[in-house]
Amino acid sequence: MKEEEKEGLPPFVRSWRQLYGLVIANLILMILLFWWFTEAFS
Amino acid sequence: MSLLDWIVLAVTLTFIVGYGIYRSRREQNLESYLTGGHTLPWWQVCLSVMATQASAVTFLSGPGQAYTDGMRFVQFYFGLPLAMVVISVTFIPIFHRLNVYTAYEYLETRFDLRTRTLTAILFLVPRWLSTGISIYAPSIILSTIFGWDIVWTNIAMGGILLIYTVIGGSQAVSYTHVQQMFIVLGGMFLAGCLVVRLLPEHMGLVETLEVAGKMNKLQTINWEFDLNDRYNVWSGLIGGFFLQLSYFGTDQSQVGRYLGGESISQSRLGLLMNGIVKIPMQFLILLVGALVFVFYQFHQAPLVFNETALSKIENMADYQDLQRKNTQIFTEKKQAVTQLQQALEQKNEVRINTLQRRVLDLNQQSTGLREKTQQLVKEKGGDANDTNYIFLTFVVKYLPEGVVGLLIAIIFIASMGSIASAINSLTSSFVVDIYRRMWVTQASESHYVNVSKISTAVWGMLSIAVAMYASRVGSLLEAVNILGSLFYGTVLGVFVVAFYFKQIGAKATFWAALVAETGVVICWLLNLTAFLWLNVIGCVAVVTVGLLLETIRGRNRVVEEDL
Repeated sequence: MKEEEKEGLPPFVRSWRQLYGLVIANLILMILLFWWFTEAFS
Repeated sequence: MSLLDWIVLAVTLTFIVGYGIYRSRREQNLESYLTGGHTLPWWQVCLSVMATQASAVTFLSGPGQAYTDGMRFVQFYFGLPLAMVVISVTFIPIFHRLNVYTAYEYLETRFDLRTRTLTAILFLVPRWLSTGISIYAPSIILSTIFGWDIVWTNIAMGGILLIYTVIGGSQAVSYTHVQQMFIVLGGMFLAGCLVVRLLPEHMGLVETLEVAGKMNKLQTINWEFDLNDRYNVWSGLIGGFFLQLSYFGTDQSQVGRYLGGESISQSRLGLLMNGIVKIPMQFLILLVGALVFVFYQFHQAPLVFNETALSKIENMADYQDLQRKNTQIFTEKKQAVTQLQQALEQKNEVRINTLQRRVLDLNQQSTGLREKTQQLVKEKGGDANDTNYIFLTFVVKYLPEGVVGLLIAIIFIASMGSIASAINSLTSSFVVDIYRRMWVTQASESHYVNVSKISTAVWGMLSIAVAMYASRVGSLLEAVNILGSLFYGTVLGVFVVAFYFKQIGAKATFWAALVAETGVVICWLLNLTAFLWLNVIGCVAVVTVGLLLETIRGRNRVVEEDL
């Protein structure tokens, strides 16, 4: 049985896997933004 | 503090305590007292885990750390979102389906009672000690700055929250967390805005950031891999991942928060949202420290922010000489920073480079004077580490009436949020894993609820007792994290074996945990590595030794069968 069928769908996205991907993508974006921030203000 | 500050402080604290009691007026059973009865929506789970992790130390040490060391501390949290994903995939479904009250309950079904008890003790002892530090840390700072008696400050810091935590249990803790986080984040945002407003007229936010950047305070990312460097991308991603995984996955103070979610989805969503918002929140707290640093380029900072420590040396000729030099350097630096800001405005690269070198040189001289003063304080037996005093000294000296009271309330509230969770989790683990499992196994529901209430009060008092005896612990934020890192890796290792290494049995896991914990303590005592890596060492050691012991046991079994 799929995760979604057992535990319900997450909001905003189609599957839990997509939401996990979103969290990791957000982390990568944060690191890149901080890197830009470091470079831009040093 | 003015009368207005006292009123703001009293009203805010009364509101939180009153709200906690109001929300917990319904009749309780053990499940609702210890886990909140699985009623929380995701946003409440999210705010509750955030309030549990963000103690008063976070709001005191964070800006101070950015002031002295720049923004690089934010990298410490890079492993957190990854840990949230792993916990959402593996830990939450198992804990929810087994309907456990504590994380350690699960270990008995997977291994045996001995392993469950060992991990519960490995949780209870350091959590109790670190709760004591969490009470002492803000108390000593407030008592130093305001001249309050440390005994009464400790009692107030650890005692006020006991009113609603004893009466309302987990539900009261979670509900008050929501209010606490709104007040705390709102107050910190206000503090950040006020710092910029207090700067000279020509300095807006962008100009302030430009100056902070040129003075190397905004270096957030360091890609260099160095095992002995506390904060870089790799230690944050790898070491931080293991630390956060063990903290959120195996520390009952956090497990108890998300077990209160009304379903697997709600608990999971709460943690994942925490994975998204935690890093920006920490970044903004540190940014306040960087802004305060720029503020002190236009207002002379004391050589040491801890006034009690300073009072030990202020009559010494050496200190007065340092102070004279400091005033001279400050005047030159202020002028150079103003010129640097003008050059930045004109985008005059040559002049920017020249002035940046000049400002950095003067800042180095100023830091040198600070270090010499700290050395004098140390020689006189004072506490030389003033990182935790920087932000509060600024608040008390420069922020308007009312705001000071609000920020002191924030320190109390932040402290109450994390300590209440910790005390609630100490109670859960003690009552469920030890008292009900081993001492009084057959009793009524109301008996266990009453024992839980007494246990909450006793853990609260024991934590206040630790706070009374805690003294110099260096950077308070780091002290709490180091204490956690000493035990978290091993406990995480036990859970990793439980979830992912089905071939390793109870006996091998138990001995592997003991060997791993000994190894971690030796590594720490011999100062072999930065503390974040202790989490990795503990976890990997449990898995490796467990596999090894299981292989040896398997071979012996084969030999015995052959014979």
